[in-house]
Amino acid sequence: MEEIIRVENLQKHFRVAKHYRGFVGAFRNLFSADYRLVKAVDGVTFQIKRGELVGYLGPNGAGKSTTIKILAGLLVPTAGNLSVYNFLPWKDRKIYVSHIGAVFGQRTTLWWDLPVIESLDLLRFVYRIPKDRFEMNIKEFRELLDLDPFLDTPVRSLSLGQRMRADLCAALLHDPILLFLDEPTIGLDVVAKENIRQFIHHINFQRGTTIILTTHDMSDVEKLCERVMIIDHGKLLFDGALKTIRTRFGGKRRLLVDFSEMYPDVNVEGAEVTERDGQRAIFEFERGSVTASELIGRLSQKYRIQDLEVREPDIEATIRRIYEEKLLEQ
Amino acid sequence: MRHSLDLYWRLIGVQIRSQLQYRLAFFLDVVGTSLSTILTFATLAFVFQRFGNIAGWTLGEVAFLYGMVEAAFGVMDMLFSGFDPQNFGKQVRLGRMDQLLLRPVDITLQIFGSEFIMRRLGRILQGLLVLGIAIGMVEIHWTATKLIFMPVILVSLVCFFGGLFIIGATITFWTYESIEVVNIFTYGGSEMMSYPMNIYQNWLRQFFTYIIPAIFLVYYPALFLLGKPDPFKMPIFAPFLAPFVGLGVLLVAWLFWNYGLRHYQSTGT
Repeated sequence: MEEIIRVENLQKHFRVAKHYRGFVGAFRNLFSADYRLVKAVDGVTFQIKRGELVGYLGPNGAGKSTTIKILAGLLVPTAGNLSVYNFLPWKDRKIYVSHIGAVFGQRTTLWWDLPVIESLDLLRFVYRIPKDRFEMNIKEFRELLDLDPFLDTPVRSLSLGQRMRADLCAALLHDPILLFLDEPTIGLDVVAKENIRQFIHHINFQRGTTIILTTHDMSDVEKLCERVMIIDHGKLLFDGALKTIRTRFGGKRRLLVDFSEMYPDVNVEGAEVTERDGQRAIFEFERGSVTASELIGRLSQKYRIQDLEVREPDIEATIRRIYEEKLLEQ
Repeated sequence: MRHSLDLYWRLIGVQIRSQLQYRLAFFLDVVGTSLSTILTFATLAFVFQRFGNIAGWTLGEVAFLYGMVEAAFGVMDMLFSGFDPQNFGKQVRLGRMDQLLLRPVDITLQIFGSEFIMRRLGRILQGLLVLGIAIGMVEIHWTATKLIFMPVILVSLVCFFGGLFIIGATITFWTYESIEVVNIFTYGGSEMMSYPMNIYQNWLRQFFTYIIPAIFLVYYPALFLLGKPDPFKMPIFAPFLAPFVGLGVLLVAWLFWNYGLRHYQSTGT
């Protein structure tokens, strides 16, 4: 598949005025011309192929939204090469944005006082969407997103979940080839989240829309993204398959064992006892050095086992560890 | 171009329909504006009853200035609502600007279409009413030139105030909040222009002659229309500078606005 996004050594620096604290500081701020250079994006390189669904992760202030804004044509980068669908986003803004869609979870692109359907119709005009194409898309999204109950409701009266569905529909009416989703499930309940995820998957799978998803919700990532990019301090820490994160940084797997008797001392080669509580023991073991079945085999030779369970490290904790312990920084 | 114009009307249509949902607010605002206009006018009338005239200007003549400025400012405040610095600064902070930049249409057009405060209709009508009364009170020797010139002055005033609004809005790209100085020019300026310029101190008048040439927008045209002598001995064409000043300020504002947009795209918020 062709590469739709090519980003090479992308840089975005901001000059931020230095802030002095306190009462006197407030006056100094007024006249001070001291600036601090913030490298929000500091040499980022990646390619994204058509039809990919990429999770773009990172803690707050890591450079995520700056990258997205550059890709969406809202910001001019300080340096580096960039081409999206053969456009230079900020230069050809008006033509370029007619090929992309974006949903920023916290804000709506719809008109506050207008019924949803009228907002959508206005967007048809803004994007010059052919009537038949528009009708087809509306019909499909009405079904997939279950829009009918609130199509005639003004946007200001919608619930957060309804608003998000309406916004997703609005972002896709003009058949964008690239879709930016920023926190599309923020603040939603479990069922609503699941529906949104299914819809995102459908769009990516059925329409082949390339999607860049930024989120803090790791379930979004686990359920949707095969590929993940992690950014922190303006640098790309990781770019690869989600399962690589698990194998490389997943940390130790855990084996919970309930023994049939009280053993004063349990141990087994290849694992370490980390917790003991009556007849229960928890072992930790390295992925790759020993398999779960080997361990169980060894244990059952020495002890009588009643029940057991293997626990995988969860991805959220793993990714948090990647930021916090800087596992990827050389 | 056709698409842009069509889009503009549709966006304005949205604003009007939205505001019709809040009829009471609309009604109260029109009443409020009426009361404040009546009050201002009454105060003015009392002052004139006491002194007869102000620096050689009768009540009708001052009302003429006042009515022109009120009506023009009202029209501007309606057409340029989207650029109202107070509101615009807030929109920038809320990231609304980014939402508009994501649409494949001209950003300036979208700002024009993002707000259209119909309540200003009250101010416009009252301005025109005062202007009508004023024209009844003073004696104007109407000629064809004067008849054509009247709307030209009004349009020039709209351009002038609109330019100030755009400049004020552009500044918020840097400050993120509307700054008070801008209000001095817009609201203070309109207040000041409602009175004859010869009542002001020399330095102030010179400022509004050479730095911000507001004096040519309504004072000089009024001298011409009312047939009053020029106390400052300006060149004979001075009354006809209004459209140049109006369009000039708007042009400067437009250039600054485009510069601001480029700055915004390189810094964001």
